Amino acid sequence: MTSLDRFIDEINRLTPIPAVTQQLLAVADKPDSSMADIARIMQYDPVITAEVLKTCNSAYYGIKHPAESVKDAVNMLGIDKVVELALAHSGASALSGTHEGYGLEQGEMWKYSIASAVVAKDVAARLGLKNKNTLFTSALIKDIGKIILHKYVLSAREKIDRMVNEKAFSFLEAEKTVFGIHHAELGAMIAKMWHFSPRMIKIIRHHHLADEAMVKDKEVAAVYLADSICMMMGIGVGSDGLAYRFKKQAMENLKITATDVSLIIAEFGMNMAEVEALLKMR
Amino acid sequence: MKQIIGVADMKVSDNVQDTIVTYSLGSCIGLVIYDPAARVGGLLHFMLPESKIDREKAARKPYMFADTGIPRLFRAAYELGAKKQRIKIFVAGGAEILDQKGFFNIGKRNYMALKKIFMKNRVLIDKEQVGGNVNRTVRMDIQTGDIFVKTSGSGEVKV
Repeated sequence: MTSLDRFIDEINRLTPIPAVTQQLLAVADKPDSSMADIARIMQYDPVITAEVLKTCNSAYYGIKHPAESVKDAVNMLGIDKVVELALAHSGASALSGTHEGYGLEQGEMWKYSIASAVVAKDVAARLGLKNKNTLFTSALIKDIGKIILHKYVLSAREKIDRMVNEKAFSFLEAEKTVFGIHHAELGAMIAKMWHFSPRMIKIIRHHHLADEAMVKDKEVAAVYLADSICMMMGIGVGSDGLAYRFKKQAMENLKITATDVSLIIAEFGMNMAEVEALLKMR
Repeated sequence: MKQIIGVADMKVSDNVQDTIVTYSLGSCIGLVIYDPAARVGGLLHFMLPESKIDREKAARKPYMFADTGIPRLFRAAYELGAKKQRIKIFVAGGAEILDQKGFFNIGKRNYMALKKIFMKNRVLIDKEQVGGNVNRTVRMDIQTGDIFVKTSGSGEVKV
């Protein structure tokens, strides 16, 4: 069995992200999508509906009368928020747990993923990007490759650390050298096998901008920026730390200044309660 | 008791049973102060150098910024009996992404903002673990003033 076959075998054994996620994404980013469209999709997934209602009724949103249906939830929180809750839920089971190779304790990767998604949403709004739900979900699941690669990283930890600490490799470059594939590429493989849209596969694959040509793609660069900001904020960051490359060119292409970065960080600082509410999803 | 200091947050304590901790600093700064005579300690976890980028947010969350958070940390410690001339200072965090130079380097700017405030107020740092590409967690025992730093992936080490 080649190492690629072994990865494919492992992907086949993962529990995929619920199908409802992709159906939701297919309509949510369309400007003419209605509440009826969203409700119709969600009604076939009772688990997602229950989780959305539970979060919607949590103290954070402070609504007076508990929502009893998707329709109630949309009336109270708006269609965007309900879609966001449903999308956030989609990553919860896959990204929870511990990931020892990256030094991530219980729930830390999930925390990082939620933080990335919340920041990506803010970045998308600031840049006026249309596919905000796709960007939110792409940012949420961009590190999905780590859920397989972490075991391999664990067994090669000393070697990777030497490469990063003594030979000026980024963590991603070290993964690629040691395993022939890095976590972003492996994540894209998973997304492909789970039939995610080509756009999301591309964003996941290039979220560290290892391929310089991708800095021009605004959606890729937006998720890259969200990821960089989350690394700076440290929330749920593992033993790979901040050992990834910063691409100033991506900021310039997005016309993002250092002040913008500070403002996005400040906005996140104000929204910690929202992140905590999303983290309670299962 | 373990007192956890969140992001953009601060706590001081004179309870010798307390241990104060802040997780995952990244480019943020964890500023730890301790007066060994009064056994008063405090920890501030700030995210950004200057509050002038958004005064309204700074009014609601002053611990988010160096310039609004640092004076409040010291004042809170003085209120518990700490004295400026006895206070020991430890600084951690301010990490950076690889190749993150210039104005985009929030970690370095956070550290410079802190140094500027300390210089103006004639305060010296005793020890520090800043910069690099690592994520740090900092803990202090109020009874002894002992400080421990954990970088993710390795164990906790006494400063």
